[in-house]
Amino acid sequence: MGAFVVFRQEEPGGAFVHCGSVDAPDMELACQYARDIFSRREDAQRLWVAPQEAIREVADGDLLRPALDRTYRLGRGYRVTVEKRRRIKARIAARAEAEQGEAV
Amino acid sequence: MRAQATGGGAAMTAILTEETRTETFRRDVADGGVIETSDWMPEEYRRRLIKFIEMHANSEIMGALPEGDWIGRAPSLKRKLALSAKIQDEVGHAQMLYRLVEDLGKPRPQIFADLTSGKSKFHNVFHYPTRSWADVGIIGWLVDGAAIISQSALLRSSYGPYTRVMKRICWEEAFHLKQGEDVCLTLAGGSALQREMLQDALTRWWEPLMMFHGPPTPPEQDGDLAWRIKTKPNDALRQEFLDRYVPQIWELGLTIPDPALKKDVQTGRWRYTEPDWSRLIAVVTGSGPASAQRLGFRRLTYEEGAWLRAVTMNA
Repeated sequence: MGAFVVFRQEEPGGAFVHCGSVDAPDMELACQYARDIFSRREDAQRLWVAPQEAIREVADGDLLRPALDRTYRLGRGYRVTVEKRRRIKARIAARAEAEQGEAV
Repeated sequence: MRAQATGGGAAMTAILTEETRTETFRRDVADGGVIETSDWMPEEYRRRLIKFIEMHANSEIMGALPEGDWIGRAPSLKRKLALSAKIQDEVGHAQMLYRLVEDLGKPRPQIFADLTSGKSKFHNVFHYPTRSWADVGIIGWLVDGAAIISQSALLRSSYGPYTRVMKRICWEEAFHLKQGEDVCLTLAGGSALQREMLQDALTRWWEPLMMFHGPPTPPEQDGDLAWRIKTKPNDALRQEFLDRYVPQIWELGLTIPDPALKKDVQTGRWRYTEPDWSRLIAVVTGSGPASAQRLGFRRLTYEEGAWLRAVTMNA
């Protein structure tokens, strides 16, 4: 007997999400048990079944979530663009006004 | 009908079955069905998927080169970090996409042989040189902006694994756009020299941008649309691009080098000078201003990395 991890896709094209595991003597029975346990209500499009020993967890916080400012990698790190855009528009408007003044 | 003409017996049954299956498949994807890697698929669908995703992946990895030239010349540490992060993303996108192509049956050495020999293609915009820091801004803001428009449409593609990868890619592209926009806005709000530099970059990039979404192929003649590998015709994507970005560009006081560019108030569609599509073909088949240099560099790094692949992958 061995543990098999089960991933379930709920919508066509959706992500396969970890939903649990089953204990089975081989892959064929693991797939059968996965069906029995994780898709009893027509709520699964597909299941992925993998031997648990084939799964490796990576949870090294120093690598995955280093204590550095990485907002330069995110769209929200650039909110300053709103103010920059406002200043450029104001400058262009002021220049247009000045030119109009000269024309008059 | 063709099946009856080609012969009888088992062969005929096989052909009929293939045709019936293909017809059912075609109806399924047209109705919004989603295909997974392990599903049966017609050869034409597989061939088109491979070509389409491979071209996308090639563009991501080749797209790292024009901007890579500017990491060492970025004007501040923050800009250098952001640009390196963006390029790292692009290479990551190529990795994700090449895996899809491999799962569909084309091995990576073949993919790279076809890329470096010029047999397979990558996007027109990566065949051009980057002449100033403003080019980095224009690429991030407008090239990635144009890419986001076609990539968002791929979120509803008929190939499930592609749509899942596209979710990740689109999310990261949103940062690319903002970093490019911030570079452009800084230049637009800067000295006369900086504004001139930005205008020069826009002037040079406008034609490649107008060609980015491809020639106006009638939707009924576009096989990738019929199989719902992509979901919007080239021209619709270009209109969306113009709608979103032309007003923003004008707002910055910049001039777009196309006197015919104008929104038709009656139809709501943008009118513009039709790009010379034969030039697009020439550029993507290896006659672009930087095609030879880029492919040469990619070939060199692939050859120089051979020992590492041999060691790490036992290949």
